[in-house]
Amino acid sequence: MMMALLRRLGQTVFVLFGISALVFLVFFATPGADPTARIAGRNASPQTMEKVRQEYGFDRPLPVQYATMMKKLFITQDLASYVDRGELVVPEIARAAPVTVSLVCGAALIWVVLSIAMGTIAAAMKGTWVDRGLMMLGLIGISMPVFWLGQVANLITQSRYHDTWLFSWVPGLGYVPLTENPWGWFKALVIPWIVLAVMFIGIYSRVLRADLVALSGEDFMRTARAKGLSPTRILLRHGLRTSMVTFVSLFGLDFAQLVGGGALLTEVVFGLPGVGRLTYQALTNLDLPLIMATVMYSAVFVVLANAVVDILYLFLDPRVRDAR
Amino acid sequence: MTAEAPPPPGPWRQAMRGLARNRASMAALAVLVLITLSCVLAPLYARDIARTDPFTSNVAGSIMLDGHEVDIMQPNDNPLHLGLSPIGPTGHAAYLLGADSQGRDVAARMLYGGRNSLLISSCAAVLCLILAAAAGIAAGFFGGLVDAVLSRLMDIMWAVPVYLFAISLSIVTVSQGLKLGPFVVEADSLLIPIVIIALVYVPYAARPIRGRVLALRQAEFVTAARCLGVPRWRIVLFDILPNVTTTLVVLGPLLMALSLLAESALSFLSIGVQAPAASWGTIIQDGEGLIYTRPMVAIAPGLAIVLVVLALNILGDGLRDALDVRDAARRSS
Amino acid sequence: MVQKRFFAMGCVLAALCAASGSPSFAQAELTTAPTPRPAPISSDSHKGGTLRLAAQNSGGTLDPQVSYISLIKQLETPVYDGLLAFPKFAGSAAQPVIANLAEVVPQPEDGGRTYRFTLRPNLHFSNGQVVRVEDVAASFRRLFKVGSPTAGPYYSHIVGADACLHDPARCTLAGGIETDPTTRTITFHLTQPDAEFLDRLAWFHAAILPASTPPHDTGNTAPPGTGPYRVTRYDPATGMVLERNPYFREWAHDAQPAGYVDSIQVTFGLDPEGEVTAIENGQYDWMYEDVPLDRLGEVGSRYAGQVQIYTLLLYYYAALNVRMPPFNSLKARQALSYAINRHAMVIYHGGAAVATPLCQLLPQGAPGYEPSCAYTKGASPAHPLPQWQAPDLEEARKLVRESGTAGQKVTIIAPLEGRYAAMAMELRSTLASLGYDTSVRSMTQTVQFPYVQNSDNHVQIALTGWNADYPSASTFLQTLFTCASFRPHSDNSPNMSAFCNPDIDALMNKASAAALTSPAESRQRWAEVDRALMAQAPAVPLVQIKRVSLLSKRTRNAIVTLNDEILLSQLQVR
Repeated sequence: MMMALLRRLGQTVFVLFGISALVFLVFFATPGADPTARIAGRNASPQTMEKVRQEYGFDRPLPVQYATMMKKLFITQDLASYVDRGELVVPEIARAAPVTVSLVCGAALIWVVLSIAMGTIAAAMKGTWVDRGLMMLGLIGISMPVFWLGQVANLITQSRYHDTWLFSWVPGLGYVPLTENPWGWFKALVIPWIVLAVMFIGIYSRVLRADLVALSGEDFMRTARAKGLSPTRILLRHGLRTSMVTFVSLFGLDFAQLVGGGALLTEVVFGLPGVGRLTYQALTNLDLPLIMATVMYSAVFVVLANAVVDILYLFLDPRVRDAR
Repeated sequence: MTAEAPPPPGPWRQAMRGLARNRASMAALAVLVLITLSCVLAPLYARDIARTDPFTSNVAGSIMLDGHEVDIMQPNDNPLHLGLSPIGPTGHAAYLLGADSQGRDVAARMLYGGRNSLLISSCAAVLCLILAAAAGIAAGFFGGLVDAVLSRLMDIMWAVPVYLFAISLSIVTVSQGLKLGPFVVEADSLLIPIVIIALVYVPYAARPIRGRVLALRQAEFVTAARCLGVPRWRIVLFDILPNVTTTLVVLGPLLMALSLLAESALSFLSIGVQAPAASWGTIIQDGEGLIYTRPMVAIAPGLAIVLVVLALNILGDGLRDALDVRDAARRSS
Repeated sequence: MVQKRFFAMGCVLAALCAASGSPSFAQAELTTAPTPRPAPISSDSHKGGTLRLAAQNSGGTLDPQVSYISLIKQLETPVYDGLLAFPKFAGSAAQPVIANLAEVVPQPEDGGRTYRFTLRPNLHFSNGQVVRVEDVAASFRRLFKVGSPTAGPYYSHIVGADACLHDPARCTLAGGIETDPTTRTITFHLTQPDAEFLDRLAWFHAAILPASTPPHDTGNTAPPGTGPYRVTRYDPATGMVLERNPYFREWAHDAQPAGYVDSIQVTFGLDPEGEVTAIENGQYDWMYEDVPLDRLGEVGSRYAGQVQIYTLLLYYYAALNVRMPPFNSLKARQALSYAINRHAMVIYHGGAAVATPLCQLLPQGAPGYEPSCAYTKGASPAHPLPQWQAPDLEEARKLVRESGTAGQKVTIIAPLEGRYAAMAMELRSTLASLGYDTSVRSMTQTVQFPYVQNSDNHVQIALTGWNADYPSASTFLQTLFTCASFRPHSDNSPNMSAFCNPDIDALMNKASAAALTSPAESRQRWAEVDRALMAQAPAVPLVQIKRVSLLSKRTRNAIVTLNDEILLSQLQVR
């Protein structure tokens, strides 16, 4: 067990190193990425450029620059942006993270509850029009580009029908911190939550239904039926519990991806200053320190989630445990 | 494996028959064919029906509607004379869905945009399948070091959210183009989004393929072939590959659906298809700046995307049922 | 580069509205802290309240000697002062600089090589310290020590500045600045006459800070200033708060007027669409960004009374690389100048109320501006018309034929952001109609701006904009089109056209030199330079734009100045 954990840790460090080195190299290979002129300001004299180059260490060999950047990012945590001079990137991420976490947690709650309900109902009523209708709804959810859905939601709630009783409560775009105003936080996030959740409701309810349907053919389900348990009880106590293994592992990965910045389209459309939008801004500005920090942040989440899911599997599913 | 006899008329034809009986799949297929056809005919529509050039800015121009000359960009009616709005849906052949902020015909751009969206997503899906098959088979069949290296590589790709990964690659390439030795890819080439989208979905497709190959490797007929001393490349080509194709076929439409969504997202962020060329994503982006005054510009291409992706997903489901492949990737995100 | 925008000014009300600060605010290190006295009671009832501003993003460092972002400049205009200032009132009289921390604007001595200033007495920084002549000298040394972006271009004529540029850490400016604490005089010695030296002393980076300010970028901390407000909170992700500086006493209303509101709160993070909605609903009082194009109609019809429209010294243009085909051919450059539809360009910016077609290199409002358009239907470089009329495609096609460049490949490098993208597409259409094989490459503005300056990137045509830090012809003509401002292989080479013509350089030097003796003659000469440059067509000027600024219903007294735009300190809230 200990060995497995250590190996996992080694792999994680390797992956993080790989990503950071890759980001670093790609950045310096990109033409136009030299940040000196941007830091020095427009029309700065060559001497000022030289001063900036020395101050930021751009004249040093790449491995040294890489090491310095990693030190500033992880140890001293005083890495500053190349674009907004003087802006430290670590606190910037610390401020963006709660926004993304708020967005993703709310959406996750919605999609877990709704997809379990939809998946179970569909499986229970397999082959009926309810089943087909629910699954078609799910499919439509999967098929909508999230940024477009967000735009349409904005159009309806912010503009077209904002003056009607139905949507007059919707606040302007943007984020309200939970600590400042919980009710405002809720109102600002409700629509983004729903928009982000739609696709996942589709995926998860379909996966769950497929699993439940497949399980109904398994021996232990037949045994349960033979014991005379009620169909609802079988479905909920036996079927659903078993299906949760897949469900939870899928959820862990998606959740980590979203918290790590995968929700950027939703954040962009709803003007939420989260990690995804920060990453996107950093990328478009070729702001290496911020790119490095955000990519590391998201990689840590995803890699950790992968590890956690694998370990959970080890505990939850005897088949996997024995196979190792 | 020594099967010299012709393959039984079995699984493929049976599957196709099953698919043909699936009404939803057939409807989806019809929708896809219809949309593809109309997009292919885009130049005809632009030239003979709308009579516009959807790639030339035309804000200073005007059109004839019911015998009146109408400006394409109409001054807003306010005391400060602030701003202009593009003409809305006209209900005529010219500017059927109105103009975008550059005075171009949205309906004609929709058709041209559809060409690019469909082309990119289908090519990306095919390329992704080829890469994923190569990686999955190599990792699954050879195991050991090959598997370890490929798996770590996938881990690295997997550790960054898909869209972030695609966006990073696009930002680097889209402004500069790509120079790989003698090959120069222009910045506005469609190859760039195709390759990027194909690349980021490789881990998703390679995983189920690797799983299938792992299972096949233990299969009796492969063991038999090995014992007979059949060269490894022959085993891969004639024993493994045919058995993986069902997985590939089922993955195809699903990957195309994912690719279409990814393409539209990249184009929406202006790092996919480059102007003045259009895709449904770029039109949604053009429409973003008009969402309060001319919402149709953003809504119409979005509906087109939903329709096509939905049809592809239904088709994918149909194929899966017909071919009875259970573990094909069901993830998308 | 257009960092979105820069500057303006004005001020009109004469009420003394010094703040009543609490003594407990005085910081520990102060040596000569005076006890803040209660403010003179003002009869003006418009004082007080909180002004709520919104901006999409923060602008990074608050260091007034480092920041080159217009948002920070505008927010810090009521926080920092230089020896001189641009007048804080509206109107055409607001052109030359006036005395701020100095008692009077000095006459140049020694043929423009020496300037003597006397510091006003009893000025205090917001930490209570008295402003001494040593602080002034230290602030100019600090410009070099922190590597201020304008240290080279604006202040290198000071004696000793060269040494400071080469070795900033040991900068002394020996012989360049002499101070005498007893008479409170500060004397500047220049290596050569500088016609714009006084403007540059009024420029934002020449802010006077305490000598104890650390010699590095202060980042998220704003050093103490002398103005009516001080920054009390700054978080680049969420917002910023300015409160009254308890030590501020108004010394010259025209230069740094006392503020009306008690505090100014800035919120970062809303996008312009959201900002417009919030101001319409009365949640904010002013937004930094322009009103987005699709909201102009709504704002113009329903909120016309809350809109301020004012001209900026800012225009957009396409720089043509005169050292690369096809634009190494004068005829090809002129052809594009004739062909471009500036009416369309105006539409992209929101119509004639917001933008004006421009076909010369000095914008309206800059010294030396004389309306002239060489490239329009019925005009030629020899016989310009006063205004742009319509594109002349026939003439343009003829010129392209004569140049023999038709069919060549042209790539436009443009910023990705909205209006630039639209202008780039228009340019592409025009070039295509002239027979060039044209494509557009877009990148974010922060990346594009250095990229197009570097000759190694072989940019043929770059779409960009330029604005003035202060009204001067040289900012537009000398910075953008002299041989010296073309620096090969450097990301910082504002002469994007790589244009170099010694005759025109000589004309510019004459115009510049004339400014010291005869401003009228100088302006006339700059107008000549403008026409001479346009005859060579190293760039295609497109439009000059106005800012459309939206204020809340409760906001009054918007004073718009040429240099500092809307004066935040003069806004009143009900």
